[in-house]
Amino acid sequence: MAEELVLDTAIRDWVLIPLSVVMVLIGVLRHFVAKLMRSNQTLDAKIVKEGQVIVRARNLRAGANFIPLKSFRARKVYYNNEENGLLHVPKGQAQNPQAQMFSDPNMAMDMMKKNLSMIIPQTLTFAWVNFFFSGFVAAKIPFPLTQRFRSMLQNGIDLSTVDVSYVSSRSWYFLNLFGLRGLFSLILGEENATDDAQRMMQMGGFGFDPSKSLSAEKDGLDIVQHEWALPKFEKRAENVLRKLVG
Amino acid sequence: MVGAAEEAQLARLENQVDNGGGGAWEYLSLVRKLKVRRSDKVFKHGLSILNDHKQRSGLGGEEWTLYEQVAVAAMDCQCLDVAKDCIKALRKQFPESKRIGRLEAMFLEAKGLWADAEKAYSSLLEDNPLDQVIHKRRVAMAKDQGNFSVAIERLNKYLEIFMADQDAWRELAEIYVSLQLYKQAAFCYEELILSQPTVPLYHLAYADVLYTLGGLENYQLAKKYYASTIDLTGGKNTRALYGICLCSIAIGQLTKGRNKEDKDSFELQSLASTALEKEYKKRASDKLPLLAATLRNLKLQP
Repeated sequence: MAEELVLDTAIRDWVLIPLSVVMVLIGVLRHFVAKLMRSNQTLDAKIVKEGQVIVRARNLRAGANFIPLKSFRARKVYYNNEENGLLHVPKGQAQNPQAQMFSDPNMAMDMMKKNLSMIIPQTLTFAWVNFFFSGFVAAKIPFPLTQRFRSMLQNGIDLSTVDVSYVSSRSWYFLNLFGLRGLFSLILGEENATDDAQRMMQMGGFGFDPSKSLSAEKDGLDIVQHEWALPKFEKRAENVLRKLVG
Repeated sequence: MVGAAEEAQLARLENQVDNGGGGAWEYLSLVRKLKVRRSDKVFKHGLSILNDHKQRSGLGGEEWTLYEQVAVAAMDCQCLDVAKDCIKALRKQFPESKRIGRLEAMFLEAKGLWADAEKAYSSLLEDNPLDQVIHKRRVAMAKDQGNFSVAIERLNKYLEIFMADQDAWRELAEIYVSLQLYKQAAFCYEELILSQPTVPLYHLAYADVLYTLGGLENYQLAKKYYASTIDLTGGKNTRALYGICLCSIAIGQLTKGRNKEDKDSFELQSLASTALEKEYKKRASDKLPLLAATLRNLKLQP
């Protein structure tokens, strides 16, 4: 299509700019609402302890060669014995994380709050945009694009003859929804609640199972060979002193 | 741990602030960030900011952080009036805060009202049983009252949960050493060496404890750890050099030359004593005869 569409400046003033401004304001509002609803996370002593055990066991694995064999063995037994070792997870006690999630109402509540603060404003704004601004060609991007981008940029307009570089109002809404993250991190600080990608990551890592990392650490500790490093140090100390004296 | 670059920056800022060059707020922020203990300086400069209304309101929300910092520093300097004012101002701003509750408990502690402070701390712990600061305060309080067994008990309970906390292990080790419970102290130092294998001070302290415990095996161990200290410090640690000499002599006495390792160990010992002589010659030549006599005595002992 060679001929240019002329976009009314009223569209710019009444669709393009208000839409962007509203999106920014909603983002800011969402940030503060999320901040308000965030419950104080109380840590469970057991979880803290498990984390610390893992750190300590890792230290033991890394520094095993720096302590005498006797001390190393004592510690290894302390961590790994089958009765009450710190890293030993009794069979059957390893909870299914999914079940754990639902057994803890706080956790479910938290998730619900997060989702609420995300989904409700999104549906509302989408409905609002659909109602008031559907069907506008709101903007034109200054470079040509291939047909593949049509569904991304001209959502809501079912005309195959319009050039792809024209953006419909609904698509403008989507572009704003996903593209404003950089702006939010500027005005709300790095750790803002609207960071959707990060939230997705959190959801992925939700099923984190401490018992798994405990047993992994246990296996790691089992195969550590104790090779005492200190006898070597005597030689090295001699060399150091010889250099110092000589 | 405070890195070398940060330490240099801290020293520079401190110098600048002390000589009236401004930058007090930056200095206080750095002190807070590095968690170093400069209570007198913090007290002096922090208070001057707090008393200057214009400067204080320029801080915005950070003003309250400064109040807290100055309150703690004032308690450390036993300026209880100032601490009380700071806490009062904070309490007015945050009537419900647990953090201020902690400060108030610390204030009671600073006044020496042990029973009241104890009560305040335990009620705070009930709300949040995992508050590390309060656990540590309670240990410090027990230690302050000379009640070491309670301090040990509390530290052990704390370490059962926060077992990767090096500072706590170190504190426990030092308490054990002061009570001459060397076996327990040795365990703590092993733990410290595990967490930071390249810190020579831990090796040295562990060696000291082993040497104090005595017995052939421990002497041999101690000597190895003195050797590692020498290696890690580049032979600059006088205590480790002495330690090598003492351990070698003690081992020699116990084995009476039967051990074939002796030949090597003699080498290390003579090197260590030569290094000691050299060091003394360079730094304190008037003490040289004393050193020579000491070394001779060591060797001559039956």
